[in-house]
Amino acid sequence: MPPKGKAAPKPKGTENIKPSTSSSNSTSSPAAQQPTTSTSPSGNTPTAPSTIGERSQQRFHESRPFDAARQKLGLSGLSQAEQTGWVSSQLAARSSTSTGSSRRTTPRLGPKAQRELWRHVNDASLPIRTLKNKKSAPTPADVWGTDRAGQKIAGYSIARYEERAAKRTALTALQVTSRAFREARERAKRGLVVTRDHREQPIVLVESAKDVQEEKQRRRQMAALRRELYGEMTGEFRQDPEWDGVEPIPQVEPEAALATISYPEEYAEAISYLRAVMLQKEYSPRCLRLTDHIISMNAAHYTVWLYRAANVFALQLPIPDEIDWLNGVALANLKNYQIWHHRHLLVDNYYPTLASGPPSTLSRFADSEREFLSAILAHDTKNYHVWSYRSYLVSKLGLFDAAEIAAMAALIGDDVRNNSAWSHRFFVVFSDPRQSTPGTAATDADPAVPREVVDREAQYAMDKIYLAPQNQSAWNYLRGVLVKGGRGMRSVEGFVSEFVRGLGEGEEREDVLSTHALDLLAEICKEKGERERADLCLRRLGEKWDRIRVGYWEWRRRCLDDGQ
Amino acid sequence: MAGEDGFKKLPSELQLQLATTAHVKYIQSLDARKDDYDYWLTEHLRLNGLYWGLTSLHLLGHPQALPRAETIDFVLSCQHDSGGFGAAPGHDAHMLSTVSAVQILALVDAFDELETRGKKGGKAQVGKYIAALQNRQTGTFAGDEWGEEDTRFLYGAFNALSLLGLLDLVDVDKAVDHVVACANFDGGYGVSPGAESHAGQIMTCVATLAIAGRKDLIDADRLGRWLSERQIAGGGLNGRPEKREDVCYSWWVLSSLAMVGKTHWIDKDQLAGFILSCQDPEKGGISDRPGDMVDVWHTVFGLAGLSLLEFPGLQPVDEVYCLPKSTIERVLGK
Repeated sequence: MPPKGKAAPKPKGTENIKPSTSSSNSTSSPAAQQPTTSTSPSGNTPTAPSTIGERSQQRFHESRPFDAARQKLGLSGLSQAEQTGWVSSQLAARSSTSTGSSRRTTPRLGPKAQRELWRHVNDASLPIRTLKNKKSAPTPADVWGTDRAGQKIAGYSIARYEERAAKRTALTALQVTSRAFREARERAKRGLVVTRDHREQPIVLVESAKDVQEEKQRRRQMAALRRELYGEMTGEFRQDPEWDGVEPIPQVEPEAALATISYPEEYAEAISYLRAVMLQKEYSPRCLRLTDHIISMNAAHYTVWLYRAANVFALQLPIPDEIDWLNGVALANLKNYQIWHHRHLLVDNYYPTLASGPPSTLSRFADSEREFLSAILAHDTKNYHVWSYRSYLVSKLGLFDAAEIAAMAALIGDDVRNNSAWSHRFFVVFSDPRQSTPGTAATDADPAVPREVVDREAQYAMDKIYLAPQNQSAWNYLRGVLVKGGRGMRSVEGFVSEFVRGLGEGEEREDVLSTHALDLLAEICKEKGERERADLCLRRLGEKWDRIRVGYWEWRRRCLDDGQ
Repeated sequence: MAGEDGFKKLPSELQLQLATTAHVKYIQSLDARKDDYDYWLTEHLRLNGLYWGLTSLHLLGHPQALPRAETIDFVLSCQHDSGGFGAAPGHDAHMLSTVSAVQILALVDAFDELETRGKKGGKAQVGKYIAALQNRQTGTFAGDEWGEEDTRFLYGAFNALSLLGLLDLVDVDKAVDHVVACANFDGGYGVSPGAESHAGQIMTCVATLAIAGRKDLIDADRLGRWLSERQIAGGGLNGRPEKREDVCYSWWVLSSLAMVGKTHWIDKDQLAGFILSCQDPEKGGISDRPGDMVDVWHTVFGLAGLSLLEFPGLQPVDEVYCLPKSTIERVLGK
């Protein structure tokens, strides 16, 4: 029952009820309490909290001034004043916060009792709300959780916490403005109607480049704050207002996949956006930029190249510009083959324009292509995909010309063993539609090839053989030329013999400068019917000069007898 | 050369042994390497990788080392309604991954599952997808609807269709003509008419002719000679003149030689020694050259090469299909 009348206010500090830190051996006994004095809940000056955890703890107990004592001593162990104080604060707390269902449990006091209650509460400065613990935060300090480094925020000093709170406020402010930006776009898209004066008007989105810049800036700041406060990473695309409205499609792996795939986050995010736009078949500048972004992370991604090509064609971008871009990527990814297939597609697409324009356009393009091919081949002289593209280019643009042959000569000049250059030269010379029979196999003679050309090419091969007698490419070339020209191998017998000295005349005198020469000599001898000498050549090859292929040389010897 | 240093590090007795257990463990570990950047960079090869790994295990005599049910589940999860398979779930269908899918299903004897649990149309649908990629003018095949053409796709198509028993869906004669047009002056074959001879392309062309029953169109002597020239000092094989040796050419070159019956034209012992020196005997796997990093591509082709050389401890491999002979006998009833 609340005491009547206004009691003299109790000086602070004298009555020793310390809620939070009441030690278990508190000596205050009920008898020691003064029944007539009201107890001040904040009976003593607590030490100033150094952390917010401590502050929470203090506040918690400040709002429950009699709880500690009650739990320790039981209600009957409290003094009269304490008991009434406790009851009053319970009643006050319930009645001031009662809503809905708790009304049933709240006692209903008559008006007089209520006046008494509130007077007591006022006099004794009782708290009318008590802080409760959440299940997730068993002690008051726990409610603060942990920061991004896993440290308990409860351990923060007040000042440090204020800083954090300021950041959170800043983040909220930014989020509000950002949301406004997004909603403006949404409204414009929905075409919501403004009926200010009851006239229907469509919403026009007024958004300047500056607005977008500001929004980008804002999102960057938001991302930075989120990372700092919560350790959350915001993807690049979420930060970019350009990509609002596209919902990325994440990779979905079947459960317990046998060969599951996991990606670094930035790459995964980009790919999920790629899936989304590919599904919608969107072709736009932002998609083009997206393909560039993905290619820079993984130039081997097969599908993204095809999608890029689709974008280039759909947007009707000037092909030379795309080729400029591609050149950079090619130089940075020498082993990649999709790049060259992409180039192939670009040229296919560009060709009608080239063919229908003045001849100078085509020749200029051919020159620039040749220039780039030289540049890239300088890095990797035998790259099969580059050479494959080169063959295609020659066929497509009809580049069976002196410039192409000169380019091959330059490469062979640099490295006489560059088989790719030799192979390409053969193609340029012997598939030239002006001086060959279309559809002839590479292995067949072709009377349409002028004699001077055959002479020239044979001489070229022979000149190069002198530089490197053991070079397969040049010998294969020579044979191929002779076949094309319909000439027997013996037309070069003199030349071949220069590389074989003292055959069969003993270890001291026998000197073979080229196993290919000895091989060809065996063939020539067989052609001429000189079986013994042919056999000698082949035997010496298997015995000494090319032992690793003895199986082959023995078979050739057997063929001599079969008359093959 | 860097490779030689790696070679010298191996104790000599290890050099000549096949590290079967290590290889099996290596292949089993491949799926778990999700923190390797290389793993996600090569996702467009995922299904192919599974074929390489599984074939390796079969050749090593450990076909059960990868779980059959999960293998089938994964393969089927890559299939599209068109019948084709992508390299990984969610990837667009492509010839190469489709071929790998068919080869894997052949290995684990799961064509029935393809009929019952695959996309509507079963085997016939897969055949339809592949056949649609043939360019009926030139006879060659594209990899997908984007049209890149390569003799690899031609070979892949023939490989898969013949395993499915559906080779008659395509114009075989036109394809054969195209292969013949790719024959070069030096005896080899290139990726397209006029392109440089390359051992990889040669294998695809020769195998295509083998499947079509037209090996008579090959100048076996000239081709054999060009192929025999691939062997360099040390025993390894390269893919073109004056290029470095690489274990994968143990397959491309050797299987081509086998198909024209000329494997005795190279030094087999030296080649076997070279392949074995490219193993990582502790961690398993085979690399392109001694001492380099291993990968599953070189592992399967190194093992297939050793099998063709009749190295003890390996199941016989079919030189046309790059699958165990037992699988081919079961599927084609040879």
